[in-house]
Amino acid sequence: MTASLGKHFRVWRRMAWMSLGQQLSYGVGAAGFLLGKLIRLFFFFAYLVAIFKHTNSLAGYSLTDIAVFFLTFNLVDIVAQIFFRGIYSARRAVEDGDLDYYLIQPCSPLMRMAATMVDFLDIVTVLPVLGLLAATWHRLPAVGVWHAAAYVLLILNGLAIAFSIHVLVAGIAVRTQELENTIWIYRDLMFLGRFPIDIYAAPLRWTLVLLVPIGVMTSFPSQALLGTLSLGWACYAIALAAAALGASLWFWRRSIDQYTSVSS
Amino acid sequence: MPAIEVRNLSKVFRVSEKEPGLGGAFKSLFRRKFRTVPAVSDVSFDIKEGELVGFLGANGAGKTTTLKMLSGLLHPTTGTASVLGFEPWKRKPAFQKQFSLVMGHRTQLWWEIPAQETFRLNQEIYEIPEADYKRNIDELVDLLELQDCLSIPVKKLSLGQRMKAELAAAILHRPKLLLLDEPTIGLDVVMQKKVRQFILEYNRRYKATVLLTSHNMDDVSELCPRILIIERGRLLYDGALRSVVERYAPFKLMRADFSGDVVTADLERIGKVLENRGPSATLEVPRHDVSAKAAELLSRFPVVDLTIEETPVQEVVRRLFIAGGKSGA
Amino acid sequence: MRKYLHVFSISLQNVLQRRASLLMDRVGGLAAFLAIYFFWSAVLGSKDAFLGYSRAQMLTYVLAMNLLRAFVFTGRGWELVNEISSGKISSYLLRPISYIGYTLSLDMAQKTVHLVSAVLEVAVLVYLVGAPVYVPQRAETWLLFAAATAASSLIFFLLEFMVSSLAFWTSQSGGPLFCFELFLQFAAGTFFPIDVLPAGLQAALRMTPFPYLVFFPINIFLERVSRGEAAKLLLIQGCWLAAIFLATRLVWARGLKSYAAEGG
Repeated sequence: MTASLGKHFRVWRRMAWMSLGQQLSYGVGAAGFLLGKLIRLFFFFAYLVAIFKHTNSLAGYSLTDIAVFFLTFNLVDIVAQIFFRGIYSARRAVEDGDLDYYLIQPCSPLMRMAATMVDFLDIVTVLPVLGLLAATWHRLPAVGVWHAAAYVLLILNGLAIAFSIHVLVAGIAVRTQELENTIWIYRDLMFLGRFPIDIYAAPLRWTLVLLVPIGVMTSFPSQALLGTLSLGWACYAIALAAAALGASLWFWRRSIDQYTSVSS
Repeated sequence: MPAIEVRNLSKVFRVSEKEPGLGGAFKSLFRRKFRTVPAVSDVSFDIKEGELVGFLGANGAGKTTTLKMLSGLLHPTTGTASVLGFEPWKRKPAFQKQFSLVMGHRTQLWWEIPAQETFRLNQEIYEIPEADYKRNIDELVDLLELQDCLSIPVKKLSLGQRMKAELAAAILHRPKLLLLDEPTIGLDVVMQKKVRQFILEYNRRYKATVLLTSHNMDDVSELCPRILIIERGRLLYDGALRSVVERYAPFKLMRADFSGDVVTADLERIGKVLENRGPSATLEVPRHDVSAKAAELLSRFPVVDLTIEETPVQEVVRRLFIAGGKSGA
Repeated sequence: MRKYLHVFSISLQNVLQRRASLLMDRVGGLAAFLAIYFFWSAVLGSKDAFLGYSRAQMLTYVLAMNLLRAFVFTGRGWELVNEISSGKISSYLLRPISYIGYTLSLDMAQKTVHLVSAVLEVAVLVYLVGAPVYVPQRAETWLLFAAATAASSLIFFLLEFMVSSLAFWTSQSGGPLFCFELFLQFAAGTFFPIDVLPAGLQAALRMTPFPYLVFFPINIFLERVSRGEAAKLLLIQGCWLAAIFLATRLVWARGLKSYAAEGG
């Protein structure tokens, strides 16, 4: 088990290195993408700060609070992109037969698929997010150890949910070889995670907590940090992530079984 | 113990009938309509360790489906197979480390970066110790003349170079069994020859078992003493190549271009004239007589260009099929 | 002209036929629309006005933003980049039809469908949350707004066309286009009106053509500028349109030349 983990880590590291080489080969184009991501991050942040020059509270949150929500969203979103970006081309991996190679080689096909595009542009974008987050953290009233621990735990939990969504999409791609747009709907819906979910009308808010758990991924960690998340909801978040992981991995295995028994 | 042991293997595809559009795609997630298509029916054969076997058949005859079952990509509907002592579709790492599948029209190489990066990746995947890796790569570079291709992005390689790199990537972990699906497809004649020489060399040096499919009769006639012919999912012939060729392809085709028109009756003295259109003609000549007949043709007629071709595999298979024989030779 | 009308009608049918991908586009856009709407609703809180916008004006800004995003920000940039990268563009260049005109007809069809959908979305949201809608007091405002919107959608079309043409020089020009589109969203005042920004930055943005895409047209609609000022803005917008038209033609011609020189 540990030997296999070590091997998978080495394979991942090698694929990350290859992704970097691939991205560097794009030159100017890659620079454009990187710049675009940075522009989006900084402009959005600048607008939020500017708005607070004209008001001092938003749905009961201060600028520091809103910044925590916004930056935490970015952290979860970007880290998920770094690790799971390859899933975006799951359909192509099935069509071009890459999946066939993954299946006959002694290494997890799911990991191979996710790591075909470890996005280094996002590793660069995550650095300013971490910097801003550190600065914001500094301006928060003293954060208790438990709140900090819950924050980190719920971020990891959010990543687990993000992972499950990606696995589900990969499973759908293997099964139907269609629905390539599902992942883009997810990307678009993630827009809602930039703000604390408290600002949304109740039906939308419940949707984001229960049905499309973007709120659980992006808002819950910040709420825990600010001490506004109840223990019950924290437990719900963790149970949800566990269930989502289990269900998505089960769906993935079913999809692979079906691929190897039905498809031609 | 044979390297491959196949008993009564059958594969029936359930082809889902998809309705078009998003709605259809969504629906197909839950409820699907199927129609069944038999791809492989009741196939049995053994392949001994170190054997080189050609697998022939027309498009859609079931070759690729069989290879996919042997490599563990497909579950059979019924029947059993034991490959290197494993049940392939269980996809055990211990099994996967001992074989390789090369698909001529697909690639496992990363497109934008040099092939050696993919080699390094496979080193990690197959857990090849550094010393073995170095030794294997040196040997492969030497055998396949890959010196100049290693550090160039794959997309800039020629088709032939890419195929050689593809083979190297597949063979890096020194598999005991090679499954090759159309390894020479799209290559020019010189490159085809090199790929064939390499396969033969690998088979001899390491006693590796090789099963290859091809449309190209030359691949088979130069490499495989034994062939399997599959037609509409059924094994039609399993035996020596020599006897099937002598029986069903006793002739070669000679195509000649002349500097002027030639009379068909004159050509009939060389061989059976299949076609004579003005300055070019096609003749059928007995296999064992080819060189003598070619010399005769060159000396008696104003030949501008001459090619000698094998009867296409499809044609051999067709004749075999018409003869309807499932007989070992 | 007739042939362009024909292209328009064919591509209109085409857009309607691919309802699935249209639906996906709209669902994606809807997420941003809802997020921004509730964000501003939260900023306003119980206040009656913010930054000189009345409550109705501020929320109507967001509603109008959804319409303008549908009508202005739907270009054919990515298709153009793909067609240039894949060399498919050559086949168009041989036909007796101007490529810009051809693309514009395609784009118009796309815009029409998106606009209809956006109007429906706005209507449903207004109905559901009882959003206050600012209705222009002066009749001519409608005319001025329509003129500004038409000009702004042409400006966007040309700008995007120009940036996409960079693909003639760089093999992977998706990067510049990605960067440009993200920058534009903020510089045009899409999510946040630019007057929340600090005076210096605001003044700088006002010197560029970007606020003429969203910010100024909506301000005309909200009657936050006088009739005379609106006319002046339209005039400046017209000048920008002319300048960008010439620049785009120049870049396009140069691009074609370098394309031909390389032999495609």
